[in-house]
This record gives sequence, C-alpha cells and structure tokens, in this order.
Amino acid sequence: MAVFRRGYERYDGPLTGPVTRFMAIPRFAWGKILSQRFVVVLLVLSLFWPLLCAGFVYVSNHADLLPNLGGMQGPMAKLLEINGKFFAVFMNVQSTFAILLAAIAGPGLVAPDLANNALPLYFARPMSRWTYIGARMMVLFGILSLVTLVPGLFVFGMQASLASTAWLQANWWLGQGLVLGFVLYIAMVSLVALACSAYVKWRVVAGALVLAFFFVLAGAAQMINQILRVEWGSLLNPGFAIYTVWCALLGVEAVEDAPGAWECFAVLMLMLGGLLAVLLRKLRPVEVVS
Amino acid sequence: MNPVIAVENLRVRLGKREILKGISCRLGESGVGKAIGLLGPNGAGKSTLIQTLLGFHQPSAGSAQILGLDCHRQSMQVKTRIGYMPENDSLIADMTAVAFLRLMGEISGLPAAAALEKAHETLFHVGLGEARYRAVGTYSLGMKQMAKLAQAIIHGPELVILDEPTNGLDPAARQRMLVLIKEMKEQHGMNVLLCSHLLRDVEEVCDEVVILKDGMIVHQSDLAAERQANKRFVQLQVTGDDRNLGAALREIGAEGVSETAGTWRIVLPIEVEVNALWRLTARENLQISKLAYRRDTLEEIFLKAVGHMQPKAEAEVAHGRI
Repeated sequence: MAVFRRGYERYDGPLTGPVTRFMAIPRFAWGKILSQRFVVVLLVLSLFWPLLCAGFVYVSNHADLLPNLGGMQGPMAKLLEINGKFFAVFMNVQSTFAILLAAIAGPGLVAPDLANNALPLYFARPMSRWTYIGARMMVLFGILSLVTLVPGLFVFGMQASLASTAWLQANWWLGQGLVLGFVLYIAMVSLVALACSAYVKWRVVAGALVLAFFFVLAGAAQMINQILRVEWGSLLNPGFAIYTVWCALLGVEAVEDAPGAWECFAVLMLMLGGLLAVLLRKLRPVEVVS
Repeated sequence: MNPVIAVENLRVRLGKREILKGISCRLGESGVGKAIGLLGPNGAGKSTLIQTLLGFHQPSAGSAQILGLDCHRQSMQVKTRIGYMPENDSLIADMTAVAFLRLMGEISGLPAAAALEKAHETLFHVGLGEARYRAVGTYSLGMKQMAKLAQAIIHGPELVILDEPTNGLDPAARQRMLVLIKEMKEQHGMNVLLCSHLLRDVEEVCDEVVILKDGMIVHQSDLAAERQANKRFVQLQVTGDDRNLGAALREIGAEGVSETAGTWRIVLPIEVEVNALWRLTARENLQISKLAYRRDTLEEIFLKAVGHMQPKAEAEVAHGRI
C-alpha cells in the first residue's frame, strides 16, 4: 500500500544493536561529506603520492631490469631501499592531505548539531556523549584512512608481495609502525577538528582553526626555541611531535638534540586529553547556566 | 497498577541551587494511553524534571523511574522506549525531513529499511507528506513543530515527552497538534507527558495534571475525576426571599454559600440529585433564573495551586478541592 494511504502505526519490530545504532551517524555523514566536490578532488589528489611511491616500490624491486643501475649492487641501491625512512617520508606527505581533509570535513560534523540545538535529540535516544564523540570520530577515521592507512597499507603490502619473504620477516614492524603511527595521527587530527567544530559553531572559522592549530603552534614552538635558545619548545609543535613518534616507530633516527619520542608521545597524549575535555565540555544535552 | 513515571523523593541540584526539592509522584498507567500535564510557573522546575527523566541530569537524591527502569542507571534502556520533543528549535536545518527522521529512527534502533519506511509514514501522519523532501530549515514554525513531533514518535515509543508542543502555532495548527496528541494516546496507546503553559491545551488533552512550584509538587490530580467531582458543585441564581435557603439546603444534606443577593454556590452530596433543588426552591417560593454546574477551570486550579488566588470557600477545601 502506498505510504500516503497508510496510517501511522507504532513500530513494534526488533531493534538493532548498539553497533548498528553507532554506525548510523557515520553512514549518514560519509554520504554527505563525499557529496562535496572539493572533498572528492582532494581525495583524488591525495592518491598521486601513494601511486608515485608504489611506482618507486616497483622499481626498487625490479632494479635489475634497469641496465644503468647495475642491479641492487650499484650506487643507487641505497637510494632505492625500502626502509623506515621511505615510510616516514610517505607518512609525512600524506599527513598534509589528512589535515586539509579534516579542515574541510571536520567542522561540518559537530557544528551543525550545536548550532541547531540538535544535541538533545541525539542524547534523548540511546546514545551517550562518548558514543556521539566516537561516532563523529569514526566519520573522520573513515575519511582520513582513505588518504593515510589505506594507501599506506597498500604500499606496504605491495612491497611485501614484491620483495622476498625474508624482507617481510625482517621488516614486519614497519607495517606495525605505519598503522600505529597513522592511527595516533588520525586520532589527533580528528579530535582537533571536532574540538574546533564544537568550540566555533561557524564552519568556515572552525576549518581555519583546524589549520591554525597546526601552523600557529608550529610557529609558537619555533619562537620559543629561538628566543629562549632551547629545544624543548618543539614539543608544542604537534607536527614535530607526531613525526618524532613516527620515526621511533619506524626505527628512523630523529632530529638530534630535540626532545625524544617518549616526551613527544606524552605531549601528544596531553593534547588529546585537552581536546577531549573541550569536546566533553561543549557537547552537553543541555546548557546549565550557573 | 504500574505507573509510567514514578518519582520518589527526587532532588536535583544544578550548581549550588537545588531545583527539584524532593518531589514524589506516580503518574500514568503502563499499557494504557494517558496524557499527563506538567504545569508550573517559570522556574518551577518543569524542564529540569523532564531533563532528569531523560537522564540529562543526575539526581542528588531520590530516584526517577520510567516504565519501571531507573532514569539514570538504566538510561539507555529507558531512552529506547521514550520519545522527546524539545521546546526549542532543534532540527538540523540543511537535512531533508525524510533524511533527518531516518537518521533519528536509526539512532533509536530501527533497522535502516524500517527507519526509511517509518520516516515517510510519520511525516504523512503529521501532515508533512508533501514537504518531506524539503530541507527542514525552510519549514515554517508550525511545520517545524510537526517535524519535531514526527521525530519523537518515529520509533513508536511508549512514552512521549512533549515540551510546549503548541508554542507559536496558529489556531488551526494548534488544533491539529492537539488532535494528534489525542490520537497518540487514544488510538496508539502511547503515554504522553505534556509540558505546556497553555492551560487550555492541557485541559483539552490531559487525563492527569501535576503542578510544580519552586521545585515542589503543589497539586496533583486526576482531571477526569476532578471533572466528575465538579458536577456536584452547582451555581444557583434565584429571585425572591432566599434568607431561608441556607437552612433548607442543610435539610437535604447540601451546603450553600450566598455569594451575592440571589446567587448561591452549592455543594451537593453524591446521593442528592439536582432535581431536589427544584423542589426545594418551589417550597421556598423562589424562582430559579439560572442553574449551572459550577466547574473549576484548570486555570483556577493552577492559580490556586501556585498561590495567586485564595481558596473560595472552606467548604470546597473540606471537599478535597484546592
């Protein structure tokens, strides 16, 4: 029977579980984000570097086919080696796309709910604040994975399949470092985007704030280092901190005399905690005025 | 009888202020569609009570239960069984009504296909069928109210909490909203907690009423029973010498108060029929010019409960009327 002929009847069928309810928000949000032309363009652009890296991996595994290189014994052999340094560079480049994507997609997630006072409608349903934050983070996790984890694992998988089993046995931890490094990075970028979106309800400003978070803090860190003639100021730079952690995870030598990976990791955790606190403070079903 | 809402010595503190000061009540009947009116002046604690029932505030003492489930400790289970229509504008402006309702349905636990079907069905039900593909931000105020109602009932909740549902509606839309609320309880067996400043709306729709003042319940009554009880209150207007009417009324067990010359307010015992008044006035040579059941309006009940109106007669208080 046509819907308009049917009267309203109370739903009495089975209810879905918590995971399906949780995933409802990301499903709707992904559809909306991927309908934005700019996001699609950025996603396409972000695939160029992984393709280039994949080509590099192919060449490095077929160096004997190139007559001038003289196989893997020649002077170019060191340059063509797929190691932690290669993945660190790969991650560094892809992380730029991730920040841009987060700045575009992130503010549209929480800001509309706050601006429209829609939070009571979410929280009057079986959804806690933590679930809401988790669901919104899942949106960004999915989108940012497309430019970080997915191409990263593709390149790693390609290298593993082209190289010998011995390479995989000796370098499996590179894959582990890549996943852990990107997960930590996605968590940080997502929380920055959500916190900015919750703090500033205007989308454009929130997007600018996401970029400012990374660039302004980097500038501030540099200023502290220069004025006080210290190195620990770099800890304030989230880009530096995450890169140092990546280097540690990938077994690459980090910047000399700069703060170590554990210090950087601790600072990143503090940042994550602070961003989460901002989110929890802002995302309330009702505003209690003291 | 299992109440829909059971509140026991509920205290809620927001910051340093105690908003709800130990309220206790049992409202509604599980499985029976009833509407409960929640009234009170501004700042009485109505919204805080609703928000506590929704699990937004943690009680500082006491408990609040909906359908036998604790609103704080079992809030997730409670929330699958209730619908909430907030007072303020809360629709996501750039979503179409269908998409918005579908999302809300899925978050409430409806499978995706059922959520889509119910979204269409509910929007037709509230009269937004033709506008269901429009962004809700383009809706008029009346349409937004209907969309808010639709999202509250899409998952077929057992209890629907409506906060000022007729706010800003024109008379026709208001009537439509009230009809929908009546249908919800009478045809679909839903219980409705209606918070409104418009006493006529509450009077028209509700079966029970709770009046809050300063965080305490100052009046709770069954409106249907109250209406029944009010049938025993008679307003009589007579011409002639009515000096002996008071004594004559006591002979039949009734009590009467002369308000002005010839105007009487009479409380009849249950066993005495109104016909007895005709016989009595004929015996006293009085001519009845007006005889009417004197019914307390909800407005009077409300004003008395919140202390803006003095009780009319001791007799009325003695008979259980405020």
